[in-house]
Amino acid sequence: MNRAVLYWRAASFAVAAGFVGLWQLIADQRLVSPVFLPGPDRAWASLVRGFASGDLLDKLLGTLEHMAYGWFVASIAGIALGAMIGSSRTMRSYVAPSLEFLRPLPVSAVIPVAIAMFGLTQSMALFVIAFGAIWPMLLATIHGFAAVEPRLYEVARSLHMSRLAIIFKIALPSASPDILAGMRLSVTVALILSVVCEILAGLDGLGHWVLLSARAFRSADLFAGVILLGVIGYLTALAMSVVEKRLLKWRSSGH
Amino acid sequence: MIAAVNQRANGPGAGRAQIAFSGVTLNLGGKAILENISLDVKPGEFLCIIGASGCGKTTALRLAAGLYQPTSGTVAFDGKPMLAPRRDIAIVFQDYGKALLPWRTAFGNVSLALEASGMAASQRAARIDELLKKVGLPNHAGKYPAEMSGGMQQRLQIARCLAQEPKALLMDEPFGALDAMTRQGLQDEVLSLVRASDATVVFVTHDLEEAIYLGDRVIGLLPHPGRIGIELKIDLPRPRDQLTTRENPEFLRLRRELFDFIKASEA
Repeated sequence: MNRAVLYWRAASFAVAAGFVGLWQLIADQRLVSPVFLPGPDRAWASLVRGFASGDLLDKLLGTLEHMAYGWFVASIAGIALGAMIGSSRTMRSYVAPSLEFLRPLPVSAVIPVAIAMFGLTQSMALFVIAFGAIWPMLLATIHGFAAVEPRLYEVARSLHMSRLAIIFKIALPSASPDILAGMRLSVTVALILSVVCEILAGLDGLGHWVLLSARAFRSADLFAGVILLGVIGYLTALAMSVVEKRLLKWRSSGH
Repeated sequence: MIAAVNQRANGPGAGRAQIAFSGVTLNLGGKAILENISLDVKPGEFLCIIGASGCGKTTALRLAAGLYQPTSGTVAFDGKPMLAPRRDIAIVFQDYGKALLPWRTAFGNVSLALEASGMAASQRAARIDELLKKVGLPNHAGKYPAEMSGGMQQRLQIARCLAQEPKALLMDEPFGALDAMTRQGLQDEVLSLVRASDATVVFVTHDLEEAIYLGDRVIGLLPHPGRIGIELKIDLPRPRDQLTTRENPEFLRLRRELFDFIKASEA
């Protein structure tokens, strides 16, 4: 690690510490009523208490579960559909207009439809999360498969590679940077929608915890939940970028 | 003046043609690209095709590869019509950067051809090492194409083509994007690799000297539509040498003749 990187790490850490300090100051000075704004000390205490009793851990796992299932279903479906559509010019021209109609549709508009279809259930949450998270992945995969270098298909033809080999050895790796970028965007969408579904359907998870804490004016618990959600978002994004870096080592190695 | 000299590489009737174009015409998008090309390439022959840009050199090569089908006439390989690309015909593309898999190392890129031929994984490693050594990349097996120079990437592509154990090697301006020194080095390497493998070579280039230096025979195409305008037998002694061959009076005479041909064809 060189000095510039070290410097920027220290600077960004200092900024974060500054925000926490400011927050503590505002809370201590009672600039905002403690009913609405706990200090970082109280929020932290609530976090520790929540984990000690096991309550918060259950909620955390609940949210992670919703997010993971929805994202997983969206990934499988998005990549499979995207590969099918992206690798065929005919498919692209048939399907692209419909996609352009569905894509900008706010997922929040789909939630009432899902509730009408599935009720306030886990299935509803799974459907909504998967539906919302599929778009970045689907569009990125379509783009990735459509942008495979035609020369490589000629190489494949002259080697008499099978269709399956062409997909797994040429098209999929070639599209992998796009697919991974799509997956990184989707994981954030999945987190947002998990919280929304938990709030709306009262499913066990941090969304529900945050809502109940707010209604009961337990501001420290509310903030503990929000902090945890932030941590989930940060860690999943970090994990995705580590995976991306590893899988796409071949791209960064150029000069 | 264009003098069409019809000579056979090894004299008339010396063995059957490996690649045979007979009356090949190709129209693309209503435009005639190639017109009535008849051409025999003997097994083991090194044929170079030259011509002004846009004369259909690359198209002719793609027909020989089976990547295109003629509008009329036939392209045959070993007496059988070419209806699709064959595994024993390898193509070296000019744009090596696009023809290699950037996510695979040098080792993995050569491996692709062996995987496609169904070679067992246990036998591949030794064969790949041997091929990389042959093209002068023995110490670069673990490198990605992006970490290699243009010359090295083109060697890698040649190694992958050799992995196909081709009967014919079709090369499309393979050294066009390389600097002069690298190009000369690779010319000599290709000559020695081809000598060792007995493969037939069809080599497209816009570099007249390169064509004479490498070939047993040079064919010049006239543009719009592409058709054969000149055919020269190259009787320069082998092995060829970058200095003495290029100073040979016969080399200079052939160079003059091709130069005049290109000039006349562009007029």
